Amino acid sequence: MISAAGPGMIEAEGLVMRYPTGRLALDGATLAVAPGELVVVLGHNGSGKSTMLRCIAGLLRPTAGMVRVAGAELTRLTGRRLANARMALGMIFQHAHLVRRRSVLANVLCGTLGRHRSVATSLGALPWSEAAFAEQCLDAVGLVSLARQRADTLSGGQAQRVAIARALAQRPRAVLADEPVASLDPEAAEEIMRLLRSLASDEGMPVVCVLHQPALACRYADRILGLSQGRTVFLERAESVTPHQITALYEGRAA
Amino acid sequence: MNRIEQIVLPSEQRATPRTPQASRALPFLGVFLFLVLLGQAAIVVQARPQDLISGAHGMADILRRSFPPDFSKIGDTFEPALETLDIALFGTTAAVIMALPLAVLAARNTTPARPFYFAARAIIALCRAVPDLVWALLFVTAVGLGPFPGALAVSVHSVGMLGRLFSEVVEDMDMGAVEALTMSGASRLQVFSHAVVPSVLPSLLGIALYRLDENIRASLVLGFVGAGGLGFQLLTAMNLFQYRTVSLLLLVTFAIVMVAERLSAALRAQIS
Repeated sequence: MISAAGPGMIEAEGLVMRYPTGRLALDGATLAVAPGELVVVLGHNGSGKSTMLRCIAGLLRPTAGMVRVAGAELTRLTGRRLANARMALGMIFQHAHLVRRRSVLANVLCGTLGRHRSVATSLGALPWSEAAFAEQCLDAVGLVSLARQRADTLSGGQAQRVAIARALAQRPRAVLADEPVASLDPEAAEEIMRLLRSLASDEGMPVVCVLHQPALACRYADRILGLSQGRTVFLERAESVTPHQITALYEGRAA
Repeated sequence: MNRIEQIVLPSEQRATPRTPQASRALPFLGVFLFLVLLGQAAIVVQARPQDLISGAHGMADILRRSFPPDFSKIGDTFEPALETLDIALFGTTAAVIMALPLAVLAARNTTPARPFYFAARAIIALCRAVPDLVWALLFVTAVGLGPFPGALAVSVHSVGMLGRLFSEVVEDMDMGAVEALTMSGASRLQVFSHAVVPSVLPSLLGIALYRLDENIRASLVLGFVGAGGLGFQLLTAMNLFQYRTVSLLLLVTFAIVMVAERLSAALRAQIS
């Protein structure tokens, strides 16, 4: 078990997000993800799915609504306390965002910095006391053999797996992924989805993943949330989502 | 290096569709315009090839009188050579220290506020626009003859060159790692030292080394206006018609420039 404090629940209730430009990106979206569950959010561009993820991650403050992660109400926290609460969330982006000139292991160790706020780590020293744990995280994504390699020598899929290992090194209690396979080839995409699946099934994490591929969603998710114009169109078990529902979701753009 | 790629690479794709007649006429027009420009340049610089021919005798005389180089004075070149190298080393180091904070202020993604951005850009532009030789003239007037005004001139001009290149590196930096580490709970200082520094440091070092190499060449010339080093020796020897000393000093200069260039290139290759 990688998470020390144990997985926590992700809850988002009645999220409304109106941008300063007046655009309504979210209009009452609600989602609760239990430990061990993988929920995929689908929707066309501009449906509000990335906005929703960023609200849950505490990167955006919703105009109305509540976000709670592992018991901490992110929407009521600010500054340092928000930053501390966010540490419970492991975030995976579309691009791996590794520090390219550093080794794979150093990149994973960067995930532990939040727990090691000292003068030395502020000046650039890595918390090597966590090296064994970082290797354990790399092992979880199957890349422990590449620990000493420089990050810029990795393939896109490998880099994304290292990014997942870095998120694990943070000892998260929940995982968010924002289009994690959008820039990967199909084989690497499957590999990443299998990893996210096992984070939920084996590590017991709640996982929310924004995707553009309905086929992957149906295969890997427990439940699928369909968003259109910031509203929930459906939230159902993956096996009961019909092709018709998905077609209608993506046609919602014209409506 | 990225800049050059950006300029060079897309040009093939940039070609806009033109009518066949226009595309045939354009190169001729371009060549014609260039010849006109070249013609007026030849008139303005008063180019007279016959002067070269009539002056050949004088040049041969100088060459004869400067051969062989006076190697007995090689010991005397050591100190001015060291002075030249030190002007460049001191000037470049001081410039790097001043250019770093200026570059952070002058980069759109890191500047704290618009007024700082414009102020930093203005300082950098001023330092760069005035050539180092002119800075040297000003500093010689201000602090007197010697290597110190040379080092000041090198550093002020370099602040302009380095400030601009450094700020471009900071602006081109991949912000992804910064966002990822911020999300993971790292403090601002940790994000700076673990994401910003490792991604920009190699480029900054490479630029600084290249600048050092350029400054060695610059400090050779600065001596001509009284700012110490080999240039000053060269000027003195010329004025005293000691052409064999001149040729020796030129050889020493040549050796220093070659070695510095190779060394700087090798170090930069190591970094990237």
